[in-house]
Amino acid sequence: MLNYFASSLHLGLIALQLVLVTSAEAGFYQRSPSLILLLLMSFYAVAALLNQLTQLCSSQPNQARYIKPLIPTIFAFMLILAWQSIVEGYAISPVLLPAPSSIFDALINNLPILWADFRQTYLKAVLAGYLLGCASGFLMAQWAVKSAFLRQGLVPLGNFMSAIPIVGIAPIMVMWFGFDWQSKAAVIVVMTFFPMFINTLTGLQSTDALHKDLMHTYAASKSQTFFKSQLPQALPFIFNALKLNSTLALIGAIVAEFFGTPIVGMGFRISTEVGRMNMDMVWATIVVAAVAGSLSYGALALLEKSLLFWHPSFRGNNKH
Amino acid sequence: MNRTLISLASGAALLAASFGANAAEKLTLQLKWVTQAQFAGYYVALNKGFYKDQGIDLTIKPGGPDIAPAQVLAGGGADVVVDWLPSALATREKGLPLVNIGQIYGKSGMMLTCLKSSGISSPADFKGKTLGVWFFGNEYPFLSWMSKLGYSTTGGEDGVTVLKQGFNVDPIFQGQADCVSTMTYNEYGQVLDGGLSNDELILFKYEDEGVATLEDGLYVLEDSLKDPKKLDAYAKFLKATIQGWEWAAANPKEAGLIVLDYDDTGAQTEEHQIRMAGEVAKLLASSGKGVGYLEPAAFDRTVKVLLDSDSSPVITKVPEGAYTHVVFDAAAKL
Repeated sequence: MLNYFASSLHLGLIALQLVLVTSAEAGFYQRSPSLILLLLMSFYAVAALLNQLTQLCSSQPNQARYIKPLIPTIFAFMLILAWQSIVEGYAISPVLLPAPSSIFDALINNLPILWADFRQTYLKAVLAGYLLGCASGFLMAQWAVKSAFLRQGLVPLGNFMSAIPIVGIAPIMVMWFGFDWQSKAAVIVVMTFFPMFINTLTGLQSTDALHKDLMHTYAASKSQTFFKSQLPQALPFIFNALKLNSTLALIGAIVAEFFGTPIVGMGFRISTEVGRMNMDMVWATIVVAAVAGSLSYGALALLEKSLLFWHPSFRGNNKH
Repeated sequence: MNRTLISLASGAALLAASFGANAAEKLTLQLKWVTQAQFAGYYVALNKGFYKDQGIDLTIKPGGPDIAPAQVLAGGGADVVVDWLPSALATREKGLPLVNIGQIYGKSGMMLTCLKSSGISSPADFKGKTLGVWFFGNEYPFLSWMSKLGYSTTGGEDGVTVLKQGFNVDPIFQGQADCVSTMTYNEYGQVLDGGLSNDELILFKYEDEGVATLEDGLYVLEDSLKDPKKLDAYAKFLKATIQGWEWAAANPKEAGLIVLDYDDTGAQTEEHQIRMAGEVAKLLASSGKGVGYLEPAAFDRTVKVLLDSDSSPVITKVPEGAYTHVVFDAAAKL
């Protein structure tokens, strides 16, 4: 009973803070600094609520799968509420930091622009560059695993290539491949090739000698050996590179768009809207990039889970 | 005994003197771009002690591609910024009240530089061509010009294809663009240095096309003007600045060399800076009241150019109180 009383008190505190933020006129912390106490109290309330939810999770395991996603959601909600409160309460200039509400407005009101940017940067440059970079890294590793000459020649170059700054190669790629998405894809190929190459190579080299012998006794053909033994054992390494590259590719495309682009794309939008002091639009583009990046990472992680269910790193996690 | 008294007295006198020297008003000026002769007047005034004579202790912060002067002003990193009127007005409408206290350039130095070989001989030939444009707040006059000509800027048969130009003129050399944006005092020189001759080029000055907007001017935050002490400091600063610009316009060669002394990056060359100092001298506000006076008619023309642009409006309404002559008038009385 006491528990219910406490939780409703906590919820009430948070609701009160929410009402303050949405209804009070900007600059309320400057007029009455004591209001900041309410924010601190709602921090405490959220912490207490999260505590109860985690306890609930362990005491009622059947419902854990519904409760678990609530915890980060509430946490994120509190962060956004604090951001909104401080920006509004201290009347911070939108040129320095816009409130989450105005970022949301910018996001909703500019959906066609943001979609066109997303199509240009993500669906054209990132996908093309990512696929080309990963595929060529993968294929090159197939050769390298057979040829000591390639292995010893290329692997040390990997370190060298990964140290090349994007801001250095981006203008060069613009010169070679024009200012449209092709040059951005080329930057991504340069960035993603070596992580894929080195990971795949390590994966293929890690193949168990016993497996090799077993395949040999089965009289397996070369392609059978590859698909049944080598590739599955290299998969964890390959997925490592795929996940690493998915974030690298997005960063590469956005930064490369700072140097000579057509007037569409996420990097173009960020650099242009900063100049126009439309910081809410800059943040809206950042939100789109972050969501796209997280979703592609999540999709790869899901694919990995379904392909590598047999691997020790996943077998352990299937307790219910 | 006497000696200690004397040393104490002289120590006190020294202390008082150093306090006196410290009483100079400290101001920070944020430039719109890197150290170059585009800002010769400020560096000349600093070098020749014009600011010191007015009791101003000025710090000049160079800008760069990643620096938005208005943001520095809002964050408290500068008292005065050099900015262009279109982006200052846009910022003002975004809720950061910038006010123009002095206009240094009366004419725009911006132009489109086109290859004759691309078949362009008048703005009517832009159709279907690729034009390089600077963004980061510098695109407003261009967008307004295109909308005046009736071209869409999203490409296609009836429009122009716009390329976001980096801060160089490479696209015209690589054949990626038919025209690139240049400033008379800076990038046009780079085009010539790059091997293209005047005969191969055709120039469209924004000033001649009736779409010029006011460029380098001095901006402060509106609230700071309410402080009489600050206002006084601005007036002294403006007075010394005007002096610096007049000197720079009369002695472009020396002005270019002074700027070179302040360039920590070592990226600028003597020849380029002297040429730039000579070119910017032609742009200085030369109307009745001289350098530093914002001509209301020029202000209104800029506002009209910006409001005429129907694609992605820069400003949506005529700005109120975006400039003041208070500082200029006070400076004139000093």
